[in-house]
Amino acid sequence: MELFFQQIVNGLVLGSIYSLVALGITLIYGIMQLPNFAHGHLYMLGAYVTFFMITHYGLSYWPAILFSVAALVVIGMLLERLVFRPLHHAPHINSMIASIGVMLFIEATARKMWGSDYRRLDSPYDGVIDLFGLTITEQRIIVILSAIALMIGLNLFLKRTVIGSTIEAMAQNREGAFLVGINANKVSLMTFAIASGLAAAAASLAAPINLVYPSMGAMVNLKAFVIIVLGGMGSIPGAVLGGYILGLAESISGTYINSEYKDLAAFALLVFILTVRPTGLFAKEAR
Amino acid sequence: MKRMWKTLLTLTTAVSLLILTACANSEGGGAGESKVVNIGWSGPQSGGAALYGKNTLDGMNMAIDDINAAGGIKVGKDNVKLKLVALDDKYLPNETATNARRLKQENDATIIFTPHSGGVFAMQQFNVQENFLIAAYTSEPKVTEVKNPLMVRIPPTYNIYPKTFSKEMMKRFGKKVALIPGTHQYAKDWTALFKKTWIGLGGKIVAENPVDYNKESDFSSAVTKALSSKPDVLFVGGASQPTALIIKAAREQGFKGGVIMMDQAKLEEVEQVLKDPKLLEGVIGVRPASKWPTEGTKKVVERYKKKFGADKIPTSEVLYNYMAVHLFAKAMELAGTTDDPAAIRAKINDACKQLSEDKIPLSVKGLSEDGSLITTPKAMMMKDGKYVEIPLSLN
Repeated sequence: MELFFQQIVNGLVLGSIYSLVALGITLIYGIMQLPNFAHGHLYMLGAYVTFFMITHYGLSYWPAILFSVAALVVIGMLLERLVFRPLHHAPHINSMIASIGVMLFIEATARKMWGSDYRRLDSPYDGVIDLFGLTITEQRIIVILSAIALMIGLNLFLKRTVIGSTIEAMAQNREGAFLVGINANKVSLMTFAIASGLAAAAASLAAPINLVYPSMGAMVNLKAFVIIVLGGMGSIPGAVLGGYILGLAESISGTYINSEYKDLAAFALLVFILTVRPTGLFAKEAR
Repeated sequence: MKRMWKTLLTLTTAVSLLILTACANSEGGGAGESKVVNIGWSGPQSGGAALYGKNTLDGMNMAIDDINAAGGIKVGKDNVKLKLVALDDKYLPNETATNARRLKQENDATIIFTPHSGGVFAMQQFNVQENFLIAAYTSEPKVTEVKNPLMVRIPPTYNIYPKTFSKEMMKRFGKKVALIPGTHQYAKDWTALFKKTWIGLGGKIVAENPVDYNKESDFSSAVTKALSSKPDVLFVGGASQPTALIIKAAREQGFKGGVIMMDQAKLEEVEQVLKDPKLLEGVIGVRPASKWPTEGTKKVVERYKKKFGADKIPTSEVLYNYMAVHLFAKAMELAGTTDDPAAIRAKINDACKQLSEDKIPLSVKGLSEDGSLITTPKAMMMKDGKYVEIPLSLN
């Protein structure tokens, strides 16, 4: 039984990271119908910024994260303005290809600038806590709690503020949003900013558990895309729930089935959910 | 009719151009002149194994710079400088094959290095027909089993490690082992051999839990499962950095036993990630190449640190490849040719004997019959906060 609960905790940590990355992708998809393949690489950039803030500029952990989020917000806005907005009236496939281009560009730049070395981001929270026979490091608790805090914050922002509700409105009904005078350009700029900021936060929280290297974004990116398909493209609760489902499925199936079949189990679950609900868990109703 | 003339005209132009370039080429090969010879390399420069690829390249580049700075090599009457041509194969054997053809045909490379077994297998299909020498940086025993006449294996095979590793760990910790190796082919082969050895020595495998070392955000869950079977020893193996994370996760979850590391993971790199040497207590692996007790090794390690930073340690990738370039250069001198792979290979053994231990790193005794360089690595284990070296034995 102890093993089971330990794996639940492990699954929650994984799920938190997955959810935060998936949220960014789903936000952008909801507004612009653009699958942003470069999102995982923005995640990687976020981790690098935090890393250099700590090692080169001597910032402590939390200010470094804030700086990294701010930096990625700016980078996200630049991307939207310079790459995706000019493609706004072009066929849809163009912006998809552009996002792949951005992905390759970011990875190559990172490799050129910082090399392919694995770097270790040290967090001040390295202790191990023993909780009713379960062991968990402080950093992992921080990951779980911050993810929840960020999700609640995002939800409040979308539901309770005027700017936030313009994003919601755009995601729900594009034409309707235009009719009530919402500026589409501003909304997509903001969406990119928020999504990139979230990626930076997720990366900075997760990086001390893993390592910082140029291709670190590729694997979370893949998982995040699975999650938003699972949760329903463009759905925010779908991304959150989907993230935790995948995280828990991986850690539980790794335990009770063979770990080699862990991904298989996770994807079998995906197939099953999509068979029952072909549009994902929380797909937007057809209007 | 007009069309025929046109075709004829293009054809003749093409042919005359070809002849012209051919002339230009042969002119460059006159006696007593200085020539540049290309050494090929195909390995990963992007993706998860990019760092591994870069390390091998760093070693080769350093060696080539050193040779050229000393005035190049003397082949026959010519003064020859070396030049490295590196192509990215993303760790994919089919790309290695394409790259090798390009290196041979476009760059006229007679020696082509590759740092992975898949690439070696791919090149072995056609290297004899196309007449080039494979410099194989891989410890996979199968690459030398086929006895390819134009191949030199640089590092020792990995089958010399499991026995000593297993015996030491059984003596110190116990007979129950849990396996958390990677899922890549190399790890699979290594694990299969390790399992056979461990069981053969009377040990028991209590859990087998392979994970993809490159696709995991957090190794906790795999480690939790392996530890739930209460092992005395863990077996891990993949790239150094994720391997270090697994060891860290195991210690965080309270594991106090021994750890056996596949040779792919390097103690010196694992140490850099873990930082705290206490976490390494009871870990056994291959002795870092930089600790080879020869004058030549010390010199190269120092120069490497000067070039790349004082906190950087050259791994075996750097040092073995550095050594190999020197050996091949010497062999070219002895053979008196830069483009006859069979003649160059035939002189490798003599080159090993002529290059002394205080000139090149590691210590290589010669070339074995199946085409491997003969080196004698050792195992190293952390015991009571100190590294102890253990000679490898096959009995």
